[in-house]
Amino acid sequence: MAGRQVFNPEGFKNIEKDGRTVGYEFQFKAQYYRGVTLSIVRDIKVTVDGNQEPGESLRFTVNGETFTLDEMSTVVDSDYRWEFGEFATVSVLRDGGLAPGSHHIAAYQKIVPSYMPFPMEMTNETDFEI
Amino acid sequence: MYDIKRSVSLYSYQDEYYDGKLDLEGCLRETAKTGATGVELLAEQMIKRFPLPIETQEFRDQWFAWLKEYNLTPSCYDAFLENRIYGNRTLSLGEQVNMMKRDIRLASMLGFHNLRTLVSTPMDVIEGSLDYAAEMDVKIGLEVHAPFSLNSGWADGYMEMIHRTGTKHFGFIPDMGIFCKNIPSVLREKAQQMGAKEECLRIVDDAYARRLAKGFVKIKYDLDLGKANMEYRMANGMKEMIEAVEKAGGGPADMMYAQTSFTYSWSEPQDIIDNIDYIFHTHAKFYHVSEDYVETAVAIPEVVEAFKKAGYQGYLSSEYEGGEHLRYWTEVDSIEQVRRHQEAMRIAIEG
Repeated sequence: MAGRQVFNPEGFKNIEKDGRTVGYEFQFKAQYYRGVTLSIVRDIKVTVDGNQEPGESLRFTVNGETFTLDEMSTVVDSDYRWEFGEFATVSVLRDGGLAPGSHHIAAYQKIVPSYMPFPMEMTNETDFEI
Repeated sequence: MYDIKRSVSLYSYQDEYYDGKLDLEGCLRETAKTGATGVELLAEQMIKRFPLPIETQEFRDQWFAWLKEYNLTPSCYDAFLENRIYGNRTLSLGEQVNMMKRDIRLASMLGFHNLRTLVSTPMDVIEGSLDYAAEMDVKIGLEVHAPFSLNSGWADGYMEMIHRTGTKHFGFIPDMGIFCKNIPSVLREKAQQMGAKEECLRIVDDAYARRLAKGFVKIKYDLDLGKANMEYRMANGMKEMIEAVEKAGGGPADMMYAQTSFTYSWSEPQDIIDNIDYIFHTHAKFYHVSEDYVETAVAIPEVVEAFKKAGYQGYLSSEYEGGEHLRYWTEVDSIEQVRRHQEAMRIAIEG
């Protein structure tokens, strides 16, 4: 089925630092209808080509500031919300990044709006090229 | 004599906003084009860096300039009491009251005199904010969204508080999703796209029709909303219906349809008349309006008729929610849907 454009098609790339590939990144939008503080984004999981990345290797960036999943739990600043309709960048720290060519990603997000009796858990998948 | 005005909740345009086709001003422009004179806003949806811009004169000047340009009046501010903003605790009562007061103040700064709060708002948070609401001339409206309903044990709890405090600054905001004569067509289409079986869909449709004919069992007041909701579902025959769907070989698509059917309900429009003294704003929830201006689930003519009889003085604010089903498999055209819905309401109000 078609659906919302959750991922930024231009957002998949390896991260180069000091001439080395230290990981890869992608950009996606929150599957919810308003902007939220990062403190209620209670989990992100990234699975590429069937392999789930360790949570400690993930970094989440909005508006130029980068947080670990653990740090996100206390981020309530107005300047660093996951705004409705805006991409956040998820970086995965992994030596060598991804090999050039086609890959498949499943990106899970768990958002817990205070009024909902149950958390919102969504997984979006797509193929992409490096 | 009634004075029923039309408004649009910008929530309706969320798919266009999400895709970058409309910004806040674009949504106001589209609202004005429909003939609506009111606008309802979810600040956290369309004002980035919430709530900082609202504190600035620059943003407020822009906001009021837009309202003037598009001839719109602020009808309702939709607040989200984020009382579980931290994962390890719920905010204390004092913290929650302060958050509610902040939202009342923000609403007032943008010219709103009504504020929507969600059913999860604890009673004592509302009570603790009433004096401030009076001072700021903002009424707090508790959204009555399916599976909740007026004239229920749940609503009685709030009614008791209204009478005990004598407040004029708290009441109900009915969501017209509580007046669904059948399950919205867009949900059925989504289930079909996902591979649902016609036989299973019919079991669910029939069960809905039976609940409607018998009268829905009302939800009880309980701070544990998950528990209250599950009891409500069981009391309305969810277990038997799910078993019937399973027996007919239902898969994930059929189960999705069966489970989601409990997010719609039918109340008698008489409930509006009985409670009119406590209703000052209304979410005119809708799912799909056909080319000839018929809502496929919500009983617009009957409900508008009840508002007329009751002498309602307030807005019916279009709240389009069909997109959440359509977007999984096809294009969403909220702009056209809101246009049709406004026309359907105009016909009912003026007819």
